[in-house]
Amino acid sequence: MKILRARLLSLTLDLFLWAYLLYSGFTLYYLAELWTPWRPEEKLVWPALSPWEWAVVIVGIVEVVLLTRSFGPSLGQRVLGVHLVREGGARPTLAQSLAHFGFSHLELLLLGGGIWLNPQTPWHERCIGLRLEPLPPPESAVRRPPWYRTIYGLTALLLVAMTLALGWRLTEVDLQKLIRSASKSLRIWRGLIHPSFQYLVQPDPRIKLSFLDGLVQSLYMALLATVAGIIVAFPLSFAGARNIAARSSLGWLFYFLTRGFFNVFRAVESVFWASIFAIWVGFGPFAGAMALFIHTLAALGKLFSEQVEHIDPGPVEALTATGANLFQVLRYAVVPQVIPQFLAFSLYRWDINLRMATVVALVGGGGIGQLLFEYKDDLQWNLVGGVIILFMITVWIMDYVSGWVREKIV
Amino acid sequence: MAQWAKSLRIRVLPAILDLLFLGYLWLAVSISYGYFRFGRIYYSFFPWTTMFLVIVPVAALWSAWDQTVGLKVVNHELKGGSAPKRFLYALAWPLFPFTILTALFDPKGRSPAEILSGLTLSEVTLIVYRPWHRSLTGWLTALVLLSTMAAAWGVTRIEPSRLITGFAKTLKFWRAIASPRWDLLGLGLRLLAETLFMAIMATAFAVPFAVFLSFLAARNLMRGPIARPIYTVLRMIGSFTRSVDAIIWAIIFAVWVGTGSFAGVLALFVHSVVDLMKLYAEQLEAIDPGPVEALTATGANRLQVIRYAIIPQIINPYLSFTLYRWDINVRMATVVGMVGGGGIGFRLIQYLRGWSFPEATVLTLLIIVMVWLLDWLSARLREKLA
Repeated sequence: MKILRARLLSLTLDLFLWAYLLYSGFTLYYLAELWTPWRPEEKLVWPALSPWEWAVVIVGIVEVVLLTRSFGPSLGQRVLGVHLVREGGARPTLAQSLAHFGFSHLELLLLGGGIWLNPQTPWHERCIGLRLEPLPPPESAVRRPPWYRTIYGLTALLLVAMTLALGWRLTEVDLQKLIRSASKSLRIWRGLIHPSFQYLVQPDPRIKLSFLDGLVQSLYMALLATVAGIIVAFPLSFAGARNIAARSSLGWLFYFLTRGFFNVFRAVESVFWASIFAIWVGFGPFAGAMALFIHTLAALGKLFSEQVEHIDPGPVEALTATGANLFQVLRYAVVPQVIPQFLAFSLYRWDINLRMATVVALVGGGGIGQLLFEYKDDLQWNLVGGVIILFMITVWIMDYVSGWVREKIV
Repeated sequence: MAQWAKSLRIRVLPAILDLLFLGYLWLAVSISYGYFRFGRIYYSFFPWTTMFLVIVPVAALWSAWDQTVGLKVVNHELKGGSAPKRFLYALAWPLFPFTILTALFDPKGRSPAEILSGLTLSEVTLIVYRPWHRSLTGWLTALVLLSTMAAAWGVTRIEPSRLITGFAKTLKFWRAIASPRWDLLGLGLRLLAETLFMAIMATAFAVPFAVFLSFLAARNLMRGPIARPIYTVLRMIGSFTRSVDAIIWAIIFAVWVGTGSFAGVLALFVHSVVDLMKLYAEQLEAIDPGPVEALTATGANRLQVIRYAIIPQIINPYLSFTLYRWDINVRMATVVGMVGGGGIGFRLIQYLRGWSFPEATVLTLLIIVMVWLLDWLSARLREKLA
């Protein structure tokens, strides 16, 4: 069963790998400035090929994959930890590899029937005298050839090179631009060096918010979201822990619902919620706090319930044996074990929320981010500098304090 | 000197902390009182100057009769003493800044209040458990927590009723969310690929820099009059740069090179370099010195020592740190994108600002899938590397 999994997975991996390599080559060719001097609207395009050309491409990929799999371990085989060897563990000869390459085509035409019938030694390997075996562990006496003399090593090199080249084009890395437009960034540096604290206490008449107002709003927004998140996530985390909840069929239902909720909602960006709540309750810190709360609840819930799953089962069993009910078990066997980690996670979450509180301002969440983005859009760099410096000082103090508290409690 | 510094730590620091604590209480109480009484935010209900007239006497009495929050932090308490003595201590407590002088001359490094009242601060040796409602500190702490929540409620303008009254306005948008524009899936996938490549490029650029710098930022390798200052400066620059948020770096680079994924790459890159430098350097500091000494004893040069004694010890942790950083970079790439870093985050925020929920939903769903895949992948890889 294990070998069948290794065969299938390594083949899929190899196919995807070479398809990716081919596609990245195509994209690099398509984006090469020699024939597309204009900047294309979409950098990743679906190649317009005729059915015949598609057939050639697919056959080409399959041939390359079979070739790499027959001659020395391919990258897919290496990742899954298997290789083709003769009986006794020696490397296959050239003739054997060639034969394997040929017979794999037949096997492919039979849709891998031989592999299904006999995953350990399918006919196309048996009749050549080869078998697929796990790689020897790295500390065993068998010397492996250096990576640059193996197929998988070279493929990995190609993979890294192609990925970097593709990434370079896709993200438009332009070091010349970085140097050429350094003068543009001078404005922002100058703003940071000469920050303006004109509206530190006195509100900006246009935004009707002073720096301190914004800061206090952000701080309290993050605090409220964290506290409310903890209050809701704490009881839910037991429902989301398999060792506590999943004792009856109803418990399983609870477990799946809670975990599903956590997993979905923690992956939704908080700006998404912020823009919904901006409509729901109006622009301002309330919307931001609600958005952060939803995200915190799900993120903390998942962390908490994982922590509950990792507790020492001893005390739970002991208490259950004495006839304690579920509430008593939670109170005396589970909670004492998880409290320090819960506190550490919560502090960590507050740090994150403070930073996210600036981002939710983008969609109307209020707080200091509102000032930051307004001034940035109006190119008032001195005020941007002031806001950034005030925010950074606050974050430093918070980091210091929460680091100190975390040290004390964990 | 050490005695003097220790004296200041247990006498002046707690006093400052107590004043900050009470000052914060003043702020929180006036915010919440102003909000709930008049519906406005007052940072200080009475003029600022009156605050000191209240908090200094309160702090003095508090520290004379109970173990204050500040003293809890430094783990000291005032032992013994009759009521008059304690009152004298409270009277002289506001002279605490003069501890800088008295501690120099007093053999025990006492503060003016201690000298005058004859009481001394000593380390807590026996912890006597008292329920919170039996001590002033407990009551003040409870008051701080309560007023903080009240002030937060006021400042954030929480009105739960609006959650109900405003719900009707969102119906249209829930319907929009429920009908995603699936034809944007192709675009979303392209943007997702761009975001992934942003993280890959930032990590790939950061690794060589971080590896090089980590050798200069490792305490055990940087000895000597020239090397040690380099170490100190690098560590300082590192911790400064790391503490500047990635969002702020993204704003800076969006101005510098223009909005787009290159700005995002640079913002993630800066953060990755300093973060990886610290992680790598800490790993270098934790290596086993045995092989290094053995190789040095055989007469190997510096490069040979690094190649044969250090690299074999650090290669695996370096790999796992790099993966960890890549993981963080992917997650941060969406947020960085929102403030001008390109990729899926930039498009998502544009849709959200225009309340185009059918489009935003597709991108959000893609991000959810990406987060799941990433969680799964990093858990698997961590298992492999551990």
